[in-house]
Amino acid sequence: MKHFLLIICLFVHVILIAQTTISGKITDKQGNPIEGANVYLDGTYDGTSSNAKGNFSFTTSETGKQTLVVSFISFETCIKTGDVSTFINMKIVLREDVTTLDAVTINAGTFEAGDNAKVTALKPLDVVTTASALGDFVGALQTLPGTSSVSEDGRLFVRGGEADETQIFVDGMRVFSPYTPTAPNIPTRGRFSPFLFKGITFSTGGYSAEYGQALSSVLLLNTNDESVKEKTDISLMTVGLGVGNTQVFGKSSLSVNASYINLAPYQKLFPDRNEWNKPVQSLSGEAVYRFKFDDESLLKLYGAYSYTDFDMIQDNINYENGFHFALQNRNLYFNGSYKRHLANNWTVSGGVSFANDHSKVGISESKINDDENSAHFKVVLKKRLSNRFKLNFGTEYFVTNFTEDYQNETNGNATYEFNNNILGGFAEVDIFFSKKLGSKVGVRGEYSELLNEFTVSPRASIAYKSGDNAQFSLAYGRFYQNPKNEYLKFNTEFKAENTSHFIANYQYVKDKQILRIEGYYKKYQDLVKYDTDFTEPNSNYSNLGEGFSKGIDVFWRDNKNIKNTDYWVSYSFLDTKRDYKNYTTKATPNFASKHNVSVVAKHWITDWKSQVGMSYTFASGRSYTNPNTSGFLNKKTKNYNSVSVNWAYLISQQKILYFSVNNVLGTQNVFGYDYKNTPNSTGVYERQAVTPSADRFFFVGFFWTISDNKKDNQLNNL
Amino acid sequence: MKKIITLLAIVFAINVSAQSQYEKGMTKAFELWKTNKTTEAAQLFERISKAEKNNWLPPYYAATIEIIESFQIKDEATLTTKLTKAQGFLDTAKSISPENPEILITQALLNIAYMVFDGQKYGMTMSMKNATLYEKALKLAPNNPRVVLSKAESDMGAARFFGQSTEPFCNNIKKAIELGKEEKITEKFYPKFNVQRAEGVLKKCMNP
Repeated sequence: MKHFLLIICLFVHVILIAQTTISGKITDKQGNPIEGANVYLDGTYDGTSSNAKGNFSFTTSETGKQTLVVSFISFETCIKTGDVSTFINMKIVLREDVTTLDAVTINAGTFEAGDNAKVTALKPLDVVTTASALGDFVGALQTLPGTSSVSEDGRLFVRGGEADETQIFVDGMRVFSPYTPTAPNIPTRGRFSPFLFKGITFSTGGYSAEYGQALSSVLLLNTNDESVKEKTDISLMTVGLGVGNTQVFGKSSLSVNASYINLAPYQKLFPDRNEWNKPVQSLSGEAVYRFKFDDESLLKLYGAYSYTDFDMIQDNINYENGFHFALQNRNLYFNGSYKRHLANNWTVSGGVSFANDHSKVGISESKINDDENSAHFKVVLKKRLSNRFKLNFGTEYFVTNFTEDYQNETNGNATYEFNNNILGGFAEVDIFFSKKLGSKVGVRGEYSELLNEFTVSPRASIAYKSGDNAQFSLAYGRFYQNPKNEYLKFNTEFKAENTSHFIANYQYVKDKQILRIEGYYKKYQDLVKYDTDFTEPNSNYSNLGEGFSKGIDVFWRDNKNIKNTDYWVSYSFLDTKRDYKNYTTKATPNFASKHNVSVVAKHWITDWKSQVGMSYTFASGRSYTNPNTSGFLNKKTKNYNSVSVNWAYLISQQKILYFSVNNVLGTQNVFGYDYKNTPNSTGVYERQAVTPSADRFFFVGFFWTISDNKKDNQLNNL
Repeated sequence: MKKIITLLAIVFAINVSAQSQYEKGMTKAFELWKTNKTTEAAQLFERISKAEKNNWLPPYYAATIEIIESFQIKDEATLTTKLTKAQGFLDTAKSISPENPEILITQALLNIAYMVFDGQKYGMTMSMKNATLYEKALKLAPNNPRVVLSKAESDMGAARFFGQSTEPFCNNIKKAIELGKEEKITEKFYPKFNVQRAEGVLKKCMNP
């Protein structure tokens, strides 16, 4: 009996060690051996690492059908299923992972900001620490190449395009009135708080087929997926005050913030060139609610309300008592988006945005009431067939209803109304042929009910990585946009205006240094023309306008060579001419300057617990028409120069004191000239320079974050 | 009777050998780690995690190795691939053991790796995340010496960044050391408190 048991024991033991050897060689596509790859049978302890020659060999007691996994960092994991006995002398070729940071990126035309970006041109903190930006994300983007400095306007003017050729999207949904309303010649700001966004993509051309109704540029803002910390923010500024609060409840979070701006005290201290009957006063509030479902799908709701009013008289050569401008605006914006991952690598996302904008404007003797209701509905489906092939398609619908009520005692009253509804659809594929070569090809179709027109816009871009740090890309696209409200309210017999973009880009990224050079050619067609001094109901309108823009944008950012200093330099060369509006000939529009330079530097001084910053903007002279000489838009103003400085002092982690001065040197800048409508007794048209309302702007703010976590305040308590 | 005993013995032996496979694997992985064969160690932890689908320790250690290594990396592409991999292991560990203070503080360490690499880029989002992680970990395990130490170290880092005294946190490090000396670990391969390292941190805290 004893012997029998012993035999059984031995037998069992033998079964246990009856083992199969698994062996093979791992290489990359070029046949180079891969050392250190992890090779194992899934769900077992059996496995090993490949040696310097890429060879591996290990034994297993498993039998039958098994799964062999080969994984190595920055390569796609290879999975082979079969009988273990067949896993001998295997030849395993790993494919490079195209999603890694050093893979090629399809980036012609695009700048990215935020910590998800592969190449970050602007970092999240840059928005609030760029001297000239004053906490406005639009201001920070104006330090990138491709934008023109039109500092009396404040909006984004991209590559010879007008400001409304740029569309802004929040979480993929259109924002209908992204800027706060202002008077002529006073710069505006973006309506949104810069802290709401985790990523900003700014495309200066050649963008994806997902976006339409923008001739020149799109700015994509993505809100934070989740708020992770409960806190209260308080800001006290020379121009007003703000308060914000974030609450987290398990899977959901709510952030609200409100601000009140009143420029009355500031204007008392530093009077500007205008006469203010009622200084700028604005009240605004925002709320974001996020909910993460158990299946990781995400719902985001964003709502904002703002109210602005002011009443002023601007000195104007054509108005003896000054030009009277008064405005009351209220704007309500809602944006909801939902994203869900489905089976088989499908993702569905959808959203709705809605805006109601109401303005009461008093210009001189006229009273104008504008009411705009707009909505955007969108559904997008994405399918990831592999890391190398992704499909993205969707449909969207834009609704705009615009009414204007015009009252003027001498000219009479009038009402204008139109509906501008657009149905759009797009499909796009992202294909990566290898880690070095990728492309994006798409097409967009749009039908405008108002214009009864169907348009098709092809888009394509391709990128090739020529070395470890360098890559080239090309992009082409056609872009349509319906004429603006200003024209549509008087006439709807239009075609959509359109542009074609051709872009070539070179990018070099190494060790916290970025060099980016981009050349482009943009062709404008079917631009609106009219034959009167101003747009009027009786003007003759047509689509016979056309033009072009071409230029080179250069961007250099370096966070390495100077200790504790981060700086970037942007240069844009722009050559643009167009014949549109009531132009008598093809000419360079007043908002375009040939050379634009921006230099932004930040330096951290540890001993002072301070960050000091400087930004310098240069723009060459802008065109204007001098009625005393012949020619149209053929004169140039002097160059624009502005140096701004800021100083942020960290009292503690929670308290920050911030000072900034824009145009600290007080350079007298001129944007153009207003000429008198009638010549004086000697037959000369007198003129008045268009200048900023104040040469310098001072700002002092105190920002205080109170976190619920008392431990975080320990520093201050002790 | 004899038969039964023998049979039992055999069954037991098989059981033991099944269990010891885990122990053997883990012990070997720790040995590799100790002898600086970190890649092999991480890979072994990865393999064990694939076999032991209900144990959070193997993926936790695989993540820890990747994170510690990433602090030496100067290239952003390598850093993100490594940390993405570590994040994958941590996610696996989290799905097995959702409210685990050890995993929470390791997640915080991962975020610190990003912040140390580029504070301007990652600082704002990551520091917010970490505040929440430490808060949660302390709530779950107020007397866990690793949690207390890790929080104190992070506070020291922030204080240094803002040019403030690290002194207020020295007491927390002392407390962590005491807790660490008293701590009794019952689960095999459970993370241990490294008293020596903590004393080093304390020294730095007292004489900055």
